[in-house]
Amino acid sequence: MSGVIDVSKGAPERLTFLQRLYLPEIFRGMAVTLRHLVRNLTNYKGMPTIQYPEQKRNYSGRFRGKHILKTREDGTLKCVACYMCQQACPAECITIVAGEHPKIAFEKYPVVFDIDMLRCVFCGFCIDACPKDAIWMTRNYELAFFNRQDAIFGINKLVERPGEQVKDGYGYRPYYPGDGTVPPTDATVAPVVPGDGERAKLRETGLLPTYRPSGPRVGSGR
Amino acid sequence: MTVAAEPTLSPASERLRGRLATSALSGRFEVVDRDLPTIEVGPEAWPALARFLRDDPECRFDLFLDLCGVDNLRRRSQKSRFEAVVHLHSLPRNEHVRVRVLLPDEKKPALPSVTDVYPAANWFEREAFDLYGFDFPGHPNLHRILCHDAFVGHALRKDYAPGQRWFFAEEDMRMPQWAREEVEADHFETQTISIGPSHPATHGIIHLVARLDGEKIIRAETMIGYLHRCFEKMSETHYWNQIIPYTDRLNYVSSMINGVGYVRTAEKMLGVEIPDRGQLVRTILSEFTRIMDHCVCIGANLVDIGALTNFTYLYQNRENIYDLLEACCGARLTVSYVRVGGLAIDVPDDFAPRCRSLLESIPPFLRDVEKLVNNNRIVRNRLQGTGIVTREQAIGWGMTGPMLRASGVAYDVRRSRPYDFYDRFDWDIPISNDGDNLARYLVRMEEMRQSLKIIRQALDMLPAKGPVNSDDWRVVLPPKDAVYHDMESLIYHFKLIMEGIRVPAGERYEWIEGANGELGFYAVSDGRGGPYRLKVRPPCFPNLAAFEQIVVGGTVSDAVATLGTLNVIAGELDR
Repeated sequence: MSGVIDVSKGAPERLTFLQRLYLPEIFRGMAVTLRHLVRNLTNYKGMPTIQYPEQKRNYSGRFRGKHILKTREDGTLKCVACYMCQQACPAECITIVAGEHPKIAFEKYPVVFDIDMLRCVFCGFCIDACPKDAIWMTRNYELAFFNRQDAIFGINKLVERPGEQVKDGYGYRPYYPGDGTVPPTDATVAPVVPGDGERAKLRETGLLPTYRPSGPRVGSGR
Repeated sequence: MTVAAEPTLSPASERLRGRLATSALSGRFEVVDRDLPTIEVGPEAWPALARFLRDDPECRFDLFLDLCGVDNLRRRSQKSRFEAVVHLHSLPRNEHVRVRVLLPDEKKPALPSVTDVYPAANWFEREAFDLYGFDFPGHPNLHRILCHDAFVGHALRKDYAPGQRWFFAEEDMRMPQWAREEVEADHFETQTISIGPSHPATHGIIHLVARLDGEKIIRAETMIGYLHRCFEKMSETHYWNQIIPYTDRLNYVSSMINGVGYVRTAEKMLGVEIPDRGQLVRTILSEFTRIMDHCVCIGANLVDIGALTNFTYLYQNRENIYDLLEACCGARLTVSYVRVGGLAIDVPDDFAPRCRSLLESIPPFLRDVEKLVNNNRIVRNRLQGTGIVTREQAIGWGMTGPMLRASGVAYDVRRSRPYDFYDRFDWDIPISNDGDNLARYLVRMEEMRQSLKIIRQALDMLPAKGPVNSDDWRVVLPPKDAVYHDMESLIYHFKLIMEGIRVPAGERYEWIEGANGELGFYAVSDGRGGPYRLKVRPPCFPNLAAFEQIVVGGTVSDAVATLGTLNVIAGELDR
C-alpha cells in the first residue's frame, strides 16, 4: 500500500519557448525514431516483424491449434465416444456418433467425430475434458476453407497420421503435474478401422446380447 | 418495522437500516444481508431512496455502478417475478450497497427513472428496458440500446427462447428525433452527420450522430449495440466454466482481467480458496494485460491524432506480452487461462525469468513515447484542454478507472478493496486534477509504471513451485494422471464435465479493477451447473454514455481525440 501521486506535474502546464518553436522538438523526436531505425537495420534478426508466410512464428508447445485424435499402438482411435468433449465444448462444435467397438475391451468407438472449425473457439476445453488422452491440439493454425462444408473436419482429417508431429508440432495437451507434460510420441502406424471381429464371434456363440446403438447426440443437455 | 424483531444483521447493514429508519422512507423498505448490504424497496419509493442514499451525509452513495434486471420466472420462491438490481458505491465511505427494486406488476413491470439523481442511470435503464421490457417513466430517451430497433421481445426474459433471429433492414434504423428535424435553412453551416458505425476512429463499431455548427458539435447522440452477441443470455445456457471463453471476448484487449473477474465471482460463491501461487500468477498476468490495454489505448489514440510512430513502439510491448501469454496458455488474444478454482495449467518453468526480461524491455518504449509526445506542440494542442470532465461530472456519470482518476478521484478497486495480494504491494494511484485528454494520457502512462512495480513485487513473492489450483475436486478437474488411473477421480471428472460446478444458490457481486475501470460481475445461481443470471458491469459502458455530453461544444477532431482516451472496447460495451 502506498499513496497517491499527481501526474499533472509530469507535463508542465505551458510549454517553454523552445518547445513551442516546434523545430527543436522535431529534431528530438527524429533522434528517437532514427535510433530505432538504425537499431533495426543493424539488428535485422531482432526485429519483431516476421515475413509471413515465408517465415513462421515459433509457438510454444501449448499452442491451441487444430485438433488431432490420438491413436493406440495398433492404430485404432483412443476415443471411446464418451461425449465428454462434446458436452464441455462452449461453442457446441463437436458432433459424435458412437458405435459398438468390435473389441470388447473398448466398448465404444466414434463412428462420426466431427469438429466444425468455423464454430470452434480453440479454448482447449475438449482436451481438458477427455478422460482417455484421445484428443490433443497441434500448432497448426493455418485453417482456411473454400466453403463451409470443408470446415467440418471428420475423423479422417483429425486422426493423427505418422509424421504429423514433424509437420506442425504438438500443441496444448493433457497436463501432468510435477514433470511437465507427456513426452510427445509420434504415431508409428497408419490409422486403421478398429476391430478384429471379437464381438461378432462372441455373438455367434451366444455369449453377448445384441446391442443396438442409440441415435446421435446422447448424454448431453442440462 | 422494529429493529429487534429482525434477525441480526452485519454492522454495515444494521447501520444502514438505522439511518434509513430516520428518513421519510421509514416502513417502505427492508434491509437484508447478502454478500452486500441489500435494501429491498418497491418501485414507488425508489427515486426517494436513491436521492436519500446519494445526499444523506452518512450514506453518500454517489457513484452509480450498475442497474440490471432479473427475471425470477424459474425461481418461484422470490418475492416478485421481476426485480431491478442496482449497485451503488460511496466514494467518501468506500462501501458498496445493493438496492433491489421489486416490481410487483408482472405484465407491465415499471419503475421510475432516476436519471435526474444519477445521470449514469441513463444507459443502464435503457439496457433494462431493452432486455427485460422494464418501463422507466421519466426517462428522457427510452429506446432500445443493445438489440436493434426491429427486435421483437425482450431477450433476457426467461420465457424468451434463445436462438430466435429478427431481420433488421436499413430503414428500420432509428435516428434520434432531433436529428430528423429540419434545421433553420438560413443557417447554412448547420448539418447533421453520422460518425461511424464503421469509422477508423471509432475502434469498434460505434455510431455517433452529431449536429454541427460549422465544425463545432452542438448536439450528439451515441448509438451502440452493433457488436451485441447476447453474452448474458448465452451465460444462462452454459456451465460456469464454459463461460470463460466468452469473457475473453468482452474486453478483448485485456482478456485475462475479465476471466479473473468472472471466476472470482464463482469462487466467492463456492467459498473456494486459491493457493498463493495461483493468485500471484493471475495478478502478474492481469497487470501485464493492463499494460497491454493501456498501450493499445494510448497507441491508437495517438494514431487518431496523427502520431503513428508511437503505435509501433507501444505495440512491441503488446507483442512481447502476447508471447508470454501464449507460452502460458497457448493463445495470444483469447487466453481462456483461468478456471474456477485456479488456472487451466501451471505456468512454464521459465515464467519468472521471462517476466523479468519483460520488465526490462517495457520501460524503454514508454520513455521513447514520452520523448515523442509529452512536449510535442501538436499533441498538446490536440489533447490539452479538450474533452474535459470535471470531478463532479465524472462521479455523476458513473465513470471509473483512469477516467475517474484523471478527474481527480483516487478511486481504484485494488486500493479501496484490495483483492488477492494488492494490499501487500507498494504502489501509487496516479491521479490528475485536469480531467482533460492529456490528463488521461498521463494517468495511463503512469499506471503502466505502477503495474510494472506491482509485477516486480509479485515476482519476488511468487513461490518457485507449488500448486496453482485449489484441491477441491468438486470444483477443479482432478489431475489427468489420476483421471486415467483412479476410479474416484474419474467420477469427479465426469460429474464436473457433465453437470458443471454446483454453485450454491444465491447471488454475488464481485468487482475488480479492470483496465478501464471497475469491472463487476453480478451472478445469481439457483444451484445448477450454470448461472441463473450473469450481469457484467462493463467499465466503458458508463464512460461512453457520457461521451455525447463531453463532446458538445468541441470540434469533430476533439471528439475523435476524446473517444480515444475513453478507451471504448466495443466487445465489452455491446456484450
